[in-house]
Amino acid sequence: MMPQAQQTTSAVGALAAPQDPLESAGDATTEAPPKQVALAMERLTRAARVIADIRLGADRLLEALFMAADARDQSNSKAVEFILKEESSMRQHFQDLRALGRQLEDSGVLNGSLKSRGNSWGLHMPLVCPDGAVVAYAWKRQLAGQAGASAVDRTRLALKAFTDQKRRFFPHLDDEVSGDGEIGIAKKRLNSQGLIMSQREELREKKSLSDILKDLEHEFPNARIFTYQRLDWLKRASLLSSSAIENSSDPLKEQILNHSSNTRFGSVNVAAADQAAVIELLVPSVFRAVVSLHPAGSTNPDAVSFFATDEGGNHIHARGLSVHHVFRHVTEHADKALQYFVCVDNNLSLSLLLRWICSHQTLFSKTCSKCDRLLVMDKSLALLLPPVHRAYQETTTTVSSQTESTPPTKAAHPDHISAYHIGCSADDC
Amino acid sequence: MSSQILAEVCQCVEGFGSAAKEGRWRTTLTIYRPVARDPSSTATSAPVPMPGDLPRDFLGLTLHDRPGAYFFILRHHRLILQADANVQSLMDKLQSYKARVVLHFEGFQYQLGDFMLRVGKCVQSHADTLRGIMMEVEYLPLSSIDKSRQIMEDFLDIWQDAVIKKSLPGQFINVELNFADYGLQDQYTPQHTALQYATCIVQLMATVRS
Repeated sequence: MMPQAQQTTSAVGALAAPQDPLESAGDATTEAPPKQVALAMERLTRAARVIADIRLGADRLLEALFMAADARDQSNSKAVEFILKEESSMRQHFQDLRALGRQLEDSGVLNGSLKSRGNSWGLHMPLVCPDGAVVAYAWKRQLAGQAGASAVDRTRLALKAFTDQKRRFFPHLDDEVSGDGEIGIAKKRLNSQGLIMSQREELREKKSLSDILKDLEHEFPNARIFTYQRLDWLKRASLLSSSAIENSSDPLKEQILNHSSNTRFGSVNVAAADQAAVIELLVPSVFRAVVSLHPAGSTNPDAVSFFATDEGGNHIHARGLSVHHVFRHVTEHADKALQYFVCVDNNLSLSLLLRWICSHQTLFSKTCSKCDRLLVMDKSLALLLPPVHRAYQETTTTVSSQTESTPPTKAAHPDHISAYHIGCSADDC
Repeated sequence: MSSQILAEVCQCVEGFGSAAKEGRWRTTLTIYRPVARDPSSTATSAPVPMPGDLPRDFLGLTLHDRPGAYFFILRHHRLILQADANVQSLMDKLQSYKARVVLHFEGFQYQLGDFMLRVGKCVQSHADTLRGIMMEVEYLPLSSIDKSRQIMEDFLDIWQDAVIKKSLPGQFINVELNFADYGLQDQYTPQHTALQYATCIVQLMATVRS
């Protein structure tokens, strides 16, 4: 949907004299933020209209071609005329769209650049997701009834306010984690694995995102890990849907898809790791997990979700739910695991979470540790499911017997993490 | 072999609890035989194919969920081809092959959680005799045959247990097929489904003969 706008984001600085077309010359710098937002919304609606015109024009062209193919010789000249007329109007539409796109990009709508500019009165430019959804965010003002804060942002703000207040008014609650009471109990449970303790020592220094991902790649060669900026992930999600619809039986196409996304976004792994907001963990042919980080570039996971590998569409994101029951249940359990990891140790939470996610590579092959079967009919849900609950408290005795002999440099091997059916999980793990 | 058995099998599926009946489905399988060309009628000097050259077990298949595609299978040569549905009209015009037997697989479709089950009977067209009862099982979250092997085996075990309780005459047989022989990959495609139907028919005929 993005036009081939040639302008780079160097226009973000807005200090250099703009070389833009005359219309938007003064816009970016002299307009007050509410006016900027209003202009941006108006340009977006215009862009939508132009795109609709282009679609109609394409339909008309196709129709003309069909007519020309059907009719023998009579109306050929008419069809040619029609095609020429359509072609010129399409060209005009495309030019309009390019101009609009340039204006929008300069005003910071299609990237998040305006946020980095100061003096925005608490307003943010509307963000356009690649699937066409416009996310307009207004904090204090309503602009002609068009703006609305997204629920996610509101919740995040509320949570931040709450934790800030908690820190102010209940300082002793904060000390609980590092104090004697709670941590003692936690240590008692974990002491049965000397491995976990030594793993903590090893990871005591807060690791950067790229370090964590590199370690993970070494430990789980099956899994493919990519990082994305948030909008880039939405683009990829819609790419996934188009390839799923075509039902690409061609493994070559799948490779090309992965390769192109890798070369395009793979550099994000190294270069812009400080902007990575979405981690994709793909175990080929088994599952795809999406983890969201907040804030971008940090190592704080705030959501995780599981999907099938050939599932596609705009619901593929860290807060979306899969269409398949098995992955829905895994996601539900993963939410609990995420909360647990965050509570236990905020610094380690991401690497613990990612390792735990990778343990699901045996989702369809590892039998339940309690009933020793793979597929079982869950009576309450009336569904046939494999063991979807994987222990996240890591209270398996097999691990501790391993630690005595092996040097404590490797983390708990994923095969030793026990799996349970929903009805088989003994304690609420 | 009666439709009552089919009703019992359907009941078995519904007995699983949350199986939602979704509607009817139909897959058609055609067995072709070559038409021997009359040498005197050909005006050109093109070589007349000898009857021995033409394949004997030429199968054509339409799948219920892919009305736009037509599948050709040559079992002895291990070939499978996916073509557009219009190829049938082409075949009619060419008159090089005649449909010897046309079989319909039709029945009901159920959604059981992540499994899609299609239970149906096999009837010959223009004759109402029931040739057999078959079931197609699809596990939706996975597309890799290798990864889903265990799940499918477990499902079959559960299914056989449920069916045995009904004490029906006859039993479900699952024939394993080596897809690699036909040059197909691990990623499941409609071509795999077509092959499985063909194998099913062969199995059916073998059972009937014996």
